[in-house]
Amino acid sequence: MTSSKPVLAISAIAPIVLLAIMIAFLLGPASTFLQFGVVLPEVSIEKIEFIENEIQATVRNTGPIDVDVVLADVNDRIQPAAIEPDTSLKRFETALVRIPFDWNEGQPYEIGVTISDGTRFAKGIDAAFHALEPNMDLFVFLGMIGFLIGVVPIMIGLLWYPFIKKLGKNTFNFFLAFTMGLLVFLGIDAVLEATEISENHLSSIFNGELLIATVVILSFLALYGIGKQLTKKTEFSKLSQGLAMSLMIAIGIGFHNLGEGLAVGAAIALGEVALSTFLIIGFATHNTTEGLAIAAPLTKSKAKIFKMIGLGLIAGVPAIFGCWIGGFSFSPLFTLIFLAIGAGAIFQVVLSIFQYMKEKSEILSNTSLFAGVSVGLIVMYLTSVII
Amino acid sequence: MQSTIQSTKMFYILLAIVSVSSLYFVVPGVIIAEETPQTFLTHTGLVIKTTGEVIDPIGYDGEALDFDPDKFMKEFDYGEVSVLEDGTILREFYITARDDQIMEISPGVFYNVWTFNDSVPGPTIRATEGDLVRIHFTNEGSKPHSLHFHGIHKAEMDGVFESIGTGGKFTYEFYAEPVGLHLYHCHVHPVEEHIAHGLYGAYIVDPKEPREPADEFVFILNGFDTDFDAENNFYAANTIPFYYQHHPIEINTNQNIRAYVVNILEFDAVNNFHLHGTLFHHYPAGTDTVPSGYNDMLTMSQGDRQILEFNYKYPGLYMFHAHNTEFSEKGWVSSFLVKENTDDYGTQVEYDDII
Repeated sequence: MTSSKPVLAISAIAPIVLLAIMIAFLLGPASTFLQFGVVLPEVSIEKIEFIENEIQATVRNTGPIDVDVVLADVNDRIQPAAIEPDTSLKRFETALVRIPFDWNEGQPYEIGVTISDGTRFAKGIDAAFHALEPNMDLFVFLGMIGFLIGVVPIMIGLLWYPFIKKLGKNTFNFFLAFTMGLLVFLGIDAVLEATEISENHLSSIFNGELLIATVVILSFLALYGIGKQLTKKTEFSKLSQGLAMSLMIAIGIGFHNLGEGLAVGAAIALGEVALSTFLIIGFATHNTTEGLAIAAPLTKSKAKIFKMIGLGLIAGVPAIFGCWIGGFSFSPLFTLIFLAIGAGAIFQVVLSIFQYMKEKSEILSNTSLFAGVSVGLIVMYLTSVII
Repeated sequence: MQSTIQSTKMFYILLAIVSVSSLYFVVPGVIIAEETPQTFLTHTGLVIKTTGEVIDPIGYDGEALDFDPDKFMKEFDYGEVSVLEDGTILREFYITARDDQIMEISPGVFYNVWTFNDSVPGPTIRATEGDLVRIHFTNEGSKPHSLHFHGIHKAEMDGVFESIGTGGKFTYEFYAEPVGLHLYHCHVHPVEEHIAHGLYGAYIVDPKEPREPADEFVFILNGFDTDFDAENNFYAANTIPFYYQHHPIEINTNQNIRAYVVNILEFDAVNNFHLHGTLFHHYPAGTDTVPSGYNDMLTMSQGDRQILEFNYKYPGLYMFHAHNTEFSEKGWVSSFLVKENTDDYGTQVEYDDII
């Protein structure tokens, strides 16, 4: 067997080597032969910030060729500006365009840059808004927002625990199915939100939609693996299986809330939303159902109060971190990836709950399953309308 | 069992690869160098401190540009002059059209200009009323081009229905009439495209009795649509945006100024001209000897021309620009630097007599 190992290695490496040779050939000797068509440059304005007497735009070269940014404009009127570190942008490179400008609060603006071939790229802002200073106040503020939309509602949702515990088998199954409905909705919501970020903030070069699909599936598979390990460890004590399930749900929701926190933090920092108490109320109501989802599988085990709080924190605290990260350094790609991880995790949790229900009850009541999922979806839809 | 564990490991490895490789995109490619920031004062009076580069079309010294607006505004092409048997003065001009040149039309912005004699605008053709104008036209471009002159001439000299193909030649011939400030441009379809790319120039017919002596300037009001969305990205008097704002045209008080203003802007129906600190007498198309008004504003549609005559009473820096401020904020903003002059300056100006 040992003699075949080098052969095996060669047969594994040979195609890679051949592919490398082909790429080298295409880039080298064949490069002139393969040049056809017109290569168009592309520049994306990823972020616009308004500070005292200055507008700052972060631009990224998202095209296939290097570009030089040579002009900046505000509302399509040429303005003198500075660009840091310099005018030349290689592929994927970013630069900061600083335009001295006495802007007016609440007014819409369009910021544009022109590259050396005269092509102009622009991005609009609905309402100019003084960029938040990265100081302790903002840190506390964002933390509070994360706490209010993430931790508090989940804790409130967990309070349903005693109520669900007293339910009969069919009603309990209904609540588990209800949780599945909630989670399916959350998963779809996360994918849609990620798609929206991909459309609005991410250059097409990143293939946002495909990235979402890839990350969702990878996250699903990874969580599936982790879940299997987790339930294996609990095989000896049937009682803690519910806890394992709850933990899985909490982790899935935690990822989801991290992504949600990133999006909310970014929206606050970019001034894209007028953050009202109403919005907080909407998020809080919506997220209370997440607490219910964590509580449901626990009812068949003797869960201790601190364990439940721990689960609530696993699910809720990531929203605080999300708000901080999103608020201080918004990266559309980062947010998209976390939303997608959350979606994948949540879909995996839905599958786990379904398997758990099948195991637990010999004859699965279709009525409670379908009714639960449907009601879960409807409740989520209705609470989402409030946001 | 074994396989499950291995596959779990695989997932972790995959996850690790994905997260590490995503850092490439997430972490900005900018490494901010530890440099001392330089301070710049912009033309709007705002101060900017930066370790990077300044992108300001106004602060540019203009040396690297391919076109010199200072030279162009005072350059008149009187042609090769000879006298025919009947005493008529013949002026021969050589104009070559090209469409393959790239010109720096604003600092850092490179645009494919179509040119007459390697210049946008083309040379300012100047003759005196009654002269025979003969233009030897060569098309060295890849597309058909032509020369269409405004003025009085025979139909076959109109340069509209006979486009000159690549490598082709044509001789346009007509008598210079009437007196005035006219225009010439390529008239090959699509005309808008040929003009927008730069195939135009001024054509002046002087009266036999010369106009009053004055310092003369040509201002061709033009623009460039560099991203081809049928809207101009840049506006200017004589091609280079903001040029005369940063390089004011030096004149003297009590010096008679004559400005030949031609509006050849495409895409915008109306352009205008506003002079600060004084008013001008203006002559529509320069065809009349009596001014049609005394004003500081001129409204000109596409292809309109006006001769302006004015002088300054007080020294100082005076703007002239499009009062359509969108145009001025995209480059059509200029200035005169008026210096104190106690002499009667007007007599010092040389006027090119015939021959």
